Amino acid sequence: MRQAELTAQKDYWAKSACKMCIHSCAIRVHVVDGIVVKIEGDPDNENNKGKLCPKGQAGIMRLYDPNRVKTPLKRTNPEKGIGIDPKWQAISWEEAYDITAKKLKKIRDEDPRKLLVSINDFHRIHIWGWGAAFGSANYFSTVGQYCGAAYHPINGTLDGSFACTNDYEYCNYWIQIGGGDGFSSHLHVAGSIKRMAEARVNRGMKVVVVEPRMSTGAAKADEWIPVLPGTDRAFVLGMVNVLLHELNIYDAEFIKKYTNGPYLVGPDGNLVRDPETGKALVWDAGVGSPKGFDDNSIQEYAIEGNYTVNGIKCRPSFQLIKDTLKNHTPERMSKICTIPAETIRRIAREYGEAARIGSTIVIDGKEYPYRPAGVNYYRGAIGHVDGGLDSLAMKLINLIIGNIDVPGGHIGVGLDHRCLIVEPGADGMIKPQPHLLHPPYDYANNPYSFQLMEWFPIGIDPGHLSADNILYPEKHGFDFKPEALIIEHSNPMWNLSATDKVMEVFKRLDFIVAIDVVLNESTEWADIVFPDHTYLESHLLVDIEPPVITGHVYRRPVIEPLYDSRDATDILTELAARIGFLEQWNGLLNFTVFLKPEYYLQPDKKYTNLELTDRMAKSIYGPDHGLDWFQENGHTVRHQTLEEMYMPYRGHRIPIYFNFFKETGDDLQVKMKAAGRKWDTSSYLPIPIWRDSHPLHNLPSEYDLYAFAFKETLLNFSESTSIPWINEAMENIPMHMGAMINTKTAKAKGIKNGDAIRIQSPFGEVTGRASVVEEIHPGCIALSNGISRWSNHPIPKKNNTHFNRLLPADVKWTDGMTGHLETSTKVKIFKI
Amino acid sequence: MHLGMVIDLKRCVGCQACTIACKAENGTPPEVLFTKVLEQVAGEYPIVKKKFIPILCNHCDDAPCVRVCPTGATTKREDGIVLVDHKKCIGCRACYVACPYKNRIFLKRGSLKNGYFGKELTPFEKVKYPKWQEGVVLKCTFCVERVDQGLDPSCVQTCPADARIFGDLSNPESKVSRLIRQRGGFQPLSEDNTEPSVYYIE
Amino acid sequence: MAKTTPLVGKEFVSGFRLQTEWATLIAAAFFFGKIGSGLFLMSLFINSWVGALVGLLIVLIGKGGAHLLYLGRPERFWRGLTKPGTSWVARGFWAMMIMMVSGTIYLFSPIGSTASSVFAVIAGISAFVVAIYDGFLMNSSPSIPLWNTAMMPVLCLFYSLLGGTTLTLFLIEFGFAEVAVETIFLSNMEIVLLLTNLIIMILYLLSMANATAAAKESLRLLVRGTFALPFYVLALGIGLVFTLLMSYFVGTHGGAGVVGLITAADLVGHYFLFYLLLRVGVYKPVLGQLTM
Repeated sequence: MRQAELTAQKDYWAKSACKMCIHSCAIRVHVVDGIVVKIEGDPDNENNKGKLCPKGQAGIMRLYDPNRVKTPLKRTNPEKGIGIDPKWQAISWEEAYDITAKKLKKIRDEDPRKLLVSINDFHRIHIWGWGAAFGSANYFSTVGQYCGAAYHPINGTLDGSFACTNDYEYCNYWIQIGGGDGFSSHLHVAGSIKRMAEARVNRGMKVVVVEPRMSTGAAKADEWIPVLPGTDRAFVLGMVNVLLHELNIYDAEFIKKYTNGPYLVGPDGNLVRDPETGKALVWDAGVGSPKGFDDNSIQEYAIEGNYTVNGIKCRPSFQLIKDTLKNHTPERMSKICTIPAETIRRIAREYGEAARIGSTIVIDGKEYPYRPAGVNYYRGAIGHVDGGLDSLAMKLINLIIGNIDVPGGHIGVGLDHRCLIVEPGADGMIKPQPHLLHPPYDYANNPYSFQLMEWFPIGIDPGHLSADNILYPEKHGFDFKPEALIIEHSNPMWNLSATDKVMEVFKRLDFIVAIDVVLNESTEWADIVFPDHTYLESHLLVDIEPPVITGHVYRRPVIEPLYDSRDATDILTELAARIGFLEQWNGLLNFTVFLKPEYYLQPDKKYTNLELTDRMAKSIYGPDHGLDWFQENGHTVRHQTLEEMYMPYRGHRIPIYFNFFKETGDDLQVKMKAAGRKWDTSSYLPIPIWRDSHPLHNLPSEYDLYAFAFKETLLNFSESTSIPWINEAMENIPMHMGAMINTKTAKAKGIKNGDAIRIQSPFGEVTGRASVVEEIHPGCIALSNGISRWSNHPIPKKNNTHFNRLLPADVKWTDGMTGHLETSTKVKIFKI
Repeated sequence: MHLGMVIDLKRCVGCQACTIACKAENGTPPEVLFTKVLEQVAGEYPIVKKKFIPILCNHCDDAPCVRVCPTGATTKREDGIVLVDHKKCIGCRACYVACPYKNRIFLKRGSLKNGYFGKELTPFEKVKYPKWQEGVVLKCTFCVERVDQGLDPSCVQTCPADARIFGDLSNPESKVSRLIRQRGGFQPLSEDNTEPSVYYIE
Repeated sequence: MAKTTPLVGKEFVSGFRLQTEWATLIAAAFFFGKIGSGLFLMSLFINSWVGALVGLLIVLIGKGGAHLLYLGRPERFWRGLTKPGTSWVARGFWAMMIMMVSGTIYLFSPIGSTASSVFAVIAGISAFVVAIYDGFLMNSSPSIPLWNTAMMPVLCLFYSLLGGTTLTLFLIEFGFAEVAVETIFLSNMEIVLLLTNLIIMILYLLSMANATAAAKESLRLLVRGTFALPFYVLALGIGLVFTLLMSYFVGTHGGAGVVGLITAADLVGHYFLFYLLLRVGVYKPVLGQLTM
């Protein structure tokens, strides 16, 4: 139904897309006399099948929050700081545009790198590049840190995926490490909870959850295995050791046929190549000689054994993996992760047996390998220094049982409607796709982005490095200083770690402009604020990291906007035009909204968000599937086809030996050396190993407890505590009432439930209350994101027990390979 | 017809979607929660068990609240739904105290004044609040307006885990009846003989 | 080894839950109802016109007033008469109304007339109901085991009689009433009632010590927990032990001052015992205790 017809009705249900977290479930919204009275999941959508999480249900309270930004605002109080009233003055759009464009134009004319950019709206990835179009490569936010710099690039390198999960429909033995899939967070929570419940209850799938805290998943699991933060890799490598060296359980056929496991590796760790053709070599065990990897005459790919080729001692990469991990015994790994060796052995055996190696399954007449076991993981497992290796270990334990993208196994999840990006790469391999969010930054001897993205060739923007580099420019030789910041749906002061340093950066900035719906810790420091529509008032084609399904949901205004707000895309377009880079902006949009050449934007014309949406729809779905079609039909969401889900890489081998990482690291080291810079590339490894050098585990012993942050469904992904319904429920749940401490630990320290405590890390300090519970490893304390807020919004309590304040944020505490920040630290605690 | 609910404790993940969906459907004022999910923890680290327990009015067949109500404000419909007529309630709270499940709520004076944001009612609250009265006792109605239109209660509709199933307990072929039979459904505090219409399965 | 089931408030945790809704005012209503009806019954027995009048007034003003203050919708109080068939609140309300009407007619009928006798019987029966119905009311909460016992109405009855006796002695001692029986009889009766109440209360609490977990939790709160101090000092110490010792060793010989003191102590003990029993009412966990 056309927009005007829709809202002209007295009583109607409008279909749209949720935006109460970074994902987007399909919703239907009940409107009576112009008032939204109910939001439900859209029962006709394959994604969430009518289901909606608590945050989605609470969207009404975001829409009708009286604290929303209702008009453009100008700050009249020059003083900025926590709790300080900015004394907002309502101004016209013209004035707001004028002030902002003048300031930013001046900066752009002088040196565009002086602009910090914090555009972090996951539903509108197409606007993330606004800063790049402006000319600034800075990324002053935290996508890398609290999402997965050490996660997405490894997925993309394995199989062209952005995220991953296990196969809800066929998996029988699901190990989950540091992630909330199917229980509390990550990909499309409502639909995932439904799929997981069906697997657990209808099919009797066994779930094992490895986490320091008894999360929702751990509570529901058949077994909770507590682990120390940052040691998940030790547990997994111990299991790999048991499978490869004690049980001999691995899928040799899969490794031979679909991975680079047979590729020969020399003593230098590089692939052994034919001196003439440069082709990577394998060993044909049938005839006992080396051959090019794609030689048609190969009788039997060797994945084990030691060989000599052209005088070089070499072995198949699988043999190298086996040999490398021979000393990662359960006993040794147990000492690191605190999980008993006996448990590591038992879980490895259960997992290996559940994988049913060699079995196949016929689905819709097609035969696939059937590996109904998988290890799924997310940020908790990999958010560390050496996080890239953590991710690799998680991939390896899946790879060796041959379950990658096969029914029952470990399944890649695409970033959008393109699903997995499968393109031919070198040596018969799939092309690594570490940069699905935006193209990589070009290397430079002298840094040009405060987050140093130019020195993380396979990472994702380590925005947490910005503050350190701004405050100490001499460290890496920055010769420019930031002057302004633009924030769109982001909260860098809250979401970046080393909070005090970030606040110091805020103090030094001359001009801050913000686009958002309500103000937060960061935007309260703004000089100009532009009001954006809420998701219930705006248009967008939405498609975000869908497991199992694919397609777009059309978000539409279910009511006319309540206030004098405008769409953020339109605001950014207007600013680009006034500042003078409309051409670059339109050029970028052509790419980021997937336009086909016939729909390319003219460089000198301003396009509205609606026009963009229409062109995007037509580009993806054809000329008859424009905005009109979506207004009538709502969405294009469907279950993925078998070809999209299972073995999409067929024809290209996937890596089990990640030589791509090693080669990238070696290349970077050469460049850095040539530039005279010291830069640690020791974590660019092709095989995950445990490294005792990890700085987290080497902090002074007086810091006797590990500390980490967590979220649960109520507070999943983004602004939650200012929603009073969410806040009310949250305040009644013990894990959100204070820092979780194990009963025994608390007793030893003389701390009782509810006591005021001081938590000190080597990097910062917070105070808060103790929530004394059984559901946490005694060597840890855990802080909910629900107790972290301090903004002026009247609803959330000003607890300010903000975990990020305890974290370091510099290169030492960043994963060299991926740029992921260490997200755990160690602390000492005192009763106040 | 005897309407009832089965709550599958194995499915429930304690996400509180039901809690919030109830707020959205009913537009209840602050501190009024007709349903919520409790957690229960037992054991000692590392052998710990945690259970999520959704609770709501059990719409008991032999409801103590109906029995103790002096005014007849609380009644049970033919289909088993127990309702409070706010116009008849005098706020004596005998029902509140008699309910073994503590699932009744007394709406204090002033509860309808400020709404959730503390200053004035939102447009949503302005639409929803006129049906409430201060000084009386309220509780879950099984979303009676929805049920009368043939819909499931709001908490059932949204539950991502499908942990809540609604249906006719008197029909042996209904999903609720089959679940109770096949998976050993039990009533909360069955020893109190209130005959709840809400069953739990594990 | 299993973690003990916690006592929880409004947080989303399953455990024992305190009854929080009935406290000060309901305790006051029960208190005035019991002492007023007790006094009225004693006055019927010993033929004290003033005592009966004061008893009626205590019930009307004390009990009625406390109830009205407590009701969420006091202007609809009359609706409370609707369902005496099942509701002890309605029955109590009816009993109180009948007691008021018949008691007033009794008071103003000629002494010795048929009306006087008939209405004395009706008023007496209704006063008896007013004295004990709290016990049945509390008893009708199946999930508060502390209350859900047949001891409850018995406890109410004896506390009512004790209160009535104490107040009668007080009225006599201060010259407000003349009675047909000897004071010594009443003094002895007071001692017997105090002893009886003490025994009943001990028996009642002992029965809780061997009852379900929720009852034990109530008992724990009362004798060891948050409410132990007021229980030992006010309900037990002042209300029963002090009064018993004073009545036994000094009694009415001590003059008006002592009787006044005993009366005050008895009333304080009486109010707080029932106040505390309301406060420590504990519900069972909804799905029982979680076992490993």
